[in-house]
Amino acid sequence: MFDDVDPRSPTPLYEQIAARVRVAVASGDLAPGDSLPSVRALARQLRINPATVVQAYRDLAGDGFVDLRHGQGTFVQEVAQYVRDEEREAQATEIVRRAMQEAARRGLGADELARAFEREAGVKIRE
Amino acid sequence: MNNALEIDGLGWRAGRFFELRDLRLRVPRGSIYGFLGPNGSGKTTTIRMLMGMMKPDHGRIRVLDMDVPRDMPRILARVGYVPERPHVYPALTVGEQMRYHASFFGKWDAGWARETMRRLELEPDRRISRMSKGETGKLLILLALSQRPDLLVLDEPTDGLDPVVRRDVLTAVLDYVGETNATVFISSHLVHELERICDWVGVLDRGRLVVELPMTQFKNGIKRIKVSGAPETPVDPPFTILSRQQTNGAGTETWIVRGWQDSMKQYFDGVGLDLRDVVDLDLEEGFVELLRSSRPGTPGGS
Repeated sequence: MFDDVDPRSPTPLYEQIAARVRVAVASGDLAPGDSLPSVRALARQLRINPATVVQAYRDLAGDGFVDLRHGQGTFVQEVAQYVRDEEREAQATEIVRRAMQEAARRGLGADELARAFEREAGVKIRE
Repeated sequence: MNNALEIDGLGWRAGRFFELRDLRLRVPRGSIYGFLGPNGSGKTTTIRMLMGMMKPDHGRIRVLDMDVPRDMPRILARVGYVPERPHVYPALTVGEQMRYHASFFGKWDAGWARETMRRLELEPDRRISRMSKGETGKLLILLALSQRPDLLVLDEPTDGLDPVVRRDVLTAVLDYVGETNATVFISSHLVHELERICDWVGVLDRGRLVVELPMTQFKNGIKRIKVSGAPETPVDPPFTILSRQQTNGAGTETWIVRGWQDSMKQYFDGVGLDLRDVVDLDLEEGFVELLRSSRPGTPGGS
């Protein structure tokens, strides 16, 4: 789940880690009660500063996604449906933004992008 | 204590050319601080000075709230140092070198040292003169960590080591930091390695610290942007333009800028310029562009 965090991205590593947990909780890949890797194990696996993992977990705890139980581990919390829905919406928006940026880079308009999306996704989005 | 290391007004001159000029540096306690700079910029000199091995012409250095050089013995007891050139004796074995090292440090943890030595695949009977660069690199970090320091000062600890050994060394450091909240001051050319682990970055160029920022701020602040319709002299930009180059004949330029924030996109609308693209730079690209722009002969730039 965390294998593709990118240290070269300007997005801070703690944000990337927290985002992946949020996505997993929103999609149901992580269920309430599931435990996240220990700080030490994840820092080792990703070869990053353990403080970075701590920050990611603290952010998640602040948003109510996980519970930090000192000495026992970090556990996924029950998250209200509307929170999960909001998270999914934020993820979708981010993907669309990135696609739009890339399209602009290549000189493609929003309309062309919309047409391609309709073709590929089989979903009508324009009038 | 807020800072594990504080340097103010450090100055030193050798001959006509080399100088440390008014160096000011702060390493927050508990951070992993990456000390970057081209060869010859003064990194090793700075490190030798904070370890009390060289005397500056002027300036003040405080390590863990103690004065260099006045409190040096107490400082050395709490600072783990990996120098650029190995400071171990070729005639000794690993075990002998460790016993020798241990005799200087009251907090030496022999049990931890033995276990870590095994994990790093070092043999106590191995003679240092026979060891490879990689084995020596691992020994140096083992020695520095076994004294249980509050501050690690690492001068190119993984330079010239193969990727497997580099990982072993960094893992040992990160594990130690995770357990103890020690501060790490690390200088290295392996920018991508530093990018993974450092939360602060300081860039030294020709004896002066040109940037000192939290890692994310530095990386987010340096961008490559594409602009159309730019005049000779842009009016009061809120960011610093490090360099400008023509991208194509149609009047599009590529700027490398520093101090960027997302809200600055509005500046372009305000002055009637077309902002075509904003591209992220990774640490190495940012570092290279920063230094390149400060060299004479850069097109445009400030």
